[in-house]
Amino acid sequence: MMNILELNDVSMVYGQVRALSNVSMSVGQGEWLAIMGPSGSGKTTMMNIIGCMGKPTSGSVLLDGEELSKLSSAELTAIRRDKIGLIFQQFHLISYLTALENVMVAQYYHSMTDEPEALNALERVGLADRAKHLPSQLSGGEQQRVCIARALINYPRLILADEPTGNLDETNERVVLDILRGLHEGGSTIVVVTHDPEVGFEADRTVYLEHGRIAEVVKKAAEPSVVSQEEFSLQHNC
Amino acid sequence: MFFRMMTGALLRQRGRMAMIAVTMALGASICTAMLNVMFDVGDKVNQELKSYGANLTVVPRAASFLGDLYSEAGDADMGGGADKYLAEDELPKLKTIFWAFNIVDFAPYLESSALVKSGGKSANATVHGTWFDKQFDAPTGESVQTGMGRMKSWWDVKGAWAEDGSPCCEASGMIGASLASKLGVGPGDKVSVSDRSGADVTIAGVFQSGGADDESLFVPLWLAQEISSRQGLVSRVEVSALTTPENDLARRAARDPNSLSRHEWDTWYCTAYISSIAYQIEEVISNARAKPVLQVAESEGAILQKTQLLMILLTALSLSCASLAISNLVTASVMERSAEIGLIKAVGASSFEVSALIITETMITALLGGAAGYFAGLGFAQLIGHTVFGSSIEVRPLVIPLVTLLTVTVALAGSLPAIRLLLSLRPAEVLHGR
Amino acid sequence: MFFKMLVSSLVRRRSRLLAALCAVAIGGTVLLGMASISYDIPRQMGREFRSYGANMVLVASGEEALLGLEDAEKAASVIPPASLVGMTPYRYEMVRVNMQGYTAVGTVFESARKTSPYWSVTGEWPAGSDDILIGSDIAEFTGLARGSSITITGRASDGSRFSRDVTVSGVIRSGSVEDGFIIMSLPALEALMGNSGVADMAELSIAGTETELGEIASSIRAGVPNVSPRLVKRVTQSEAAVLSKLQALVVIVSAVVLVLTMICVATTMMTVVMERRREIGLKKAIGAENRSIAKEFLGEGVLLGFLGGVLGAVFGYVFAQTVCVNVFGRGIILDWKLLPLTIAVSIAVTVCACLLPVRRAVEVEPALVLRGE
Repeated sequence: MMNILELNDVSMVYGQVRALSNVSMSVGQGEWLAIMGPSGSGKTTMMNIIGCMGKPTSGSVLLDGEELSKLSSAELTAIRRDKIGLIFQQFHLISYLTALENVMVAQYYHSMTDEPEALNALERVGLADRAKHLPSQLSGGEQQRVCIARALINYPRLILADEPTGNLDETNERVVLDILRGLHEGGSTIVVVTHDPEVGFEADRTVYLEHGRIAEVVKKAAEPSVVSQEEFSLQHNC
Repeated sequence: MFFRMMTGALLRQRGRMAMIAVTMALGASICTAMLNVMFDVGDKVNQELKSYGANLTVVPRAASFLGDLYSEAGDADMGGGADKYLAEDELPKLKTIFWAFNIVDFAPYLESSALVKSGGKSANATVHGTWFDKQFDAPTGESVQTGMGRMKSWWDVKGAWAEDGSPCCEASGMIGASLASKLGVGPGDKVSVSDRSGADVTIAGVFQSGGADDESLFVPLWLAQEISSRQGLVSRVEVSALTTPENDLARRAARDPNSLSRHEWDTWYCTAYISSIAYQIEEVISNARAKPVLQVAESEGAILQKTQLLMILLTALSLSCASLAISNLVTASVMERSAEIGLIKAVGASSFEVSALIITETMITALLGGAAGYFAGLGFAQLIGHTVFGSSIEVRPLVIPLVTLLTVTVALAGSLPAIRLLLSLRPAEVLHGR
Repeated sequence: MFFKMLVSSLVRRRSRLLAALCAVAIGGTVLLGMASISYDIPRQMGREFRSYGANMVLVASGEEALLGLEDAEKAASVIPPASLVGMTPYRYEMVRVNMQGYTAVGTVFESARKTSPYWSVTGEWPAGSDDILIGSDIAEFTGLARGSSITITGRASDGSRFSRDVTVSGVIRSGSVEDGFIIMSLPALEALMGNSGVADMAELSIAGTETELGEIASSIRAGVPNVSPRLVKRVTQSEAAVLSKLQALVVIVSAVVLVLTMICVATTMMTVVMERRREIGLKKAIGAENRSIAKEFLGEGVLLGFLGGVLGAVFGYVFAQTVCVNVFGRGIILDWKLLPLTIAVSIAVTVCACLLPVRRAVEVEPALVLRGE
């Protein structure tokens, strides 16, 4: 299996705080990976590094074969635009644009807008009839689905979701998870950062972070097995 | 807790609050500068208008217009008596009247008609004796420097201004351009003047005034008294005084001071109207009549009023613009905090508490900014004063309450619409919907 | 999409837009208003300074003692009619009343009231040729008052004697030589003296700067050789001095107010833009380049600046007009060049004020913006 993402010995230091220390892991093509852990375990830092929104203090990050830690922030922006689809806990829709336009914004920054395609993306998340509504007229679940449609519009190599269900009720959570599952089945690579065990449970593999280190890795449909960090690295870096 | 929330907002959101404070400071400095300049512009322009020269002439009560007409016939023969003249030694009393401070300059004149000779040429001309630049001690003890030099700013002088000198030495004088060309003299030349007795005068400068003075010779007062044998006498005094524009009261008083009620009379006497200054001069100089020179006095009033009105309007309009701009900013920056306000409301704050919090924060910031702005504004006012008038603008304490009032009003006016809008929002919408 | 975003941002964020537009419009108002006023001040104030009266005197040139009225009229026609406030001829003659000698002045009252607006007359201005004004000194000395009848005697130009009964219609007070004059209309004096068409001098009141007056004087000298124009230095020089101070005052005050107002506008714009840092962060996160974000805000800034500038220009004109009408009782002359200037400055200030916070926002890592509330 080809690896979309590889982290080698990555550390992140903010001033005195070591947010990540010597983390190595990889994500394969078409894999659904969940990153879990208590607050302060380094989940957000991890998400930022994977999402090309920050560079590690040391170590190397390979995304789709490209080394990220050497790139300038403008080049990182280009990578983010072309290869990553972001889904946020707080949706982050632009308040003065309609659902359709919010999807089109991503097209616009990527290359050029294509309204039928954007509408099509909304249809896939079941929102075709709400295309002309402003975010304030949409429910939380609907807003999150617009956010997903926006993340998918440019066919990213990697979908990165930060607590995608954190602000949703149970019904909407199911809807969103169903969409993600559909995407996974369609072959998309998904990384979800969450503390919701239910979301983690859906993933092929779950990485547990603690104090900036990988505490354990659990595979789906298998007995939880504790793997030491060295063994984990060996397994996945060869 | 209210206090902790407030200090938290003020200290930890320094950027946002600094913006309000800076803008408030700017507004307050406009306000301070404009108000200070506005209050002082009357005095400053008044001072500038002094370049038009005397606005009062003091003449002997008995002197008639006849003197003007028959001066060529030798007036000393016609009426002759001392009542046609003022006494030179009484002039320092001008500096003892109630409005002595407003008397900027004055100069006595004694005219005589004399034969002026130079080389082979001669001409009959009016010779004016005056103080060019005299220094003396007023009865109040202060040292006064005054004279014609400061009152004829429009004279175009070639050479130098003459000096008063004293009877011991040779006199210097100034000659009008027309007379100078008639006699063919220039600066440094000597002319001889003879009326009843003769004297030599060195020409210090030739002047052009664009008026009748161009035909005459100006010499020190003592010399004019000597050659016409009128020791210690002057025929008129020109006075340049700072005055308040006339109003109805002043006009009535000018017609007849006795028609005023006691109270009106006090107001009139204690205001620097030209008529009250004239009245006070008549009180101290015996036998004198002080006449306002309407060309200067009336126009001065008109121009002062226009300038003051202009400044008041400019001040009012720019203050209202500044206020609008600032309250607009305050509104914008309070609105920005909708999420925070929504949260505070969600955890159970009453509308009153929310409003009190915002208003207190804004007020503290505004007042801090206003205080800083006040001092910056004083700087701006001085900058304007020095660049335009070359003198400082007086700092008026009255401006402080005005600026404070404006600051508070503007801060309130800015926060209220925002608060109303924020309170009308439901917390859930603010937190989720955005 | 760029325009869709731009228009949506302006239309759907109405309240914020209003705040920003309001700020820009205020800036424009102050700019255009203050600039027009400081531009027009010399003209407006110059008119007010005409209350000081004549600033040019015409006398006969060369050996001639008397000034021909026709020559004076010709000289006056050289002056642009818009700036000529008035021309008044004066003729001085010796007359006697009750054996006492006086100077009688013949003049044209209608124009004298324009060139010597400071004359104060108690009573009526003379209407017919039998009415005269007497100076206040004469009135005090002789006890004559309004309504008194007197007989004027004297010698006419051909040497014959005349005698005429006239009525004092008013007493004139000016604080200078006029207080000792008998003043009558020029035709009345000409009728007494038996000859007409001459005067001793003529006073002119002309609105204009000292240099303009100098130019007028030299063109009179060239065009009408019998007339010698002289500037009344006391009036012209003092006016130049005071007027330049007044203009400097208004210009500096305007500059200070303008700079401060523009800073106010800029801070308001900044606040409005700062609010959108999250939006900027999001756009960066989904892959917008710094340049395209800057372009969007630039577009908004230009549009806002333009709208605000146009609004400001309209209000600024009203502002300047209000000030002028209230202070001077005359409308302002608008320099049309100021209109595009106002709009351009509004756009520039708005754009600068937008780009500053945007620059700071795009420099921030997108992740920090997204996380930071």
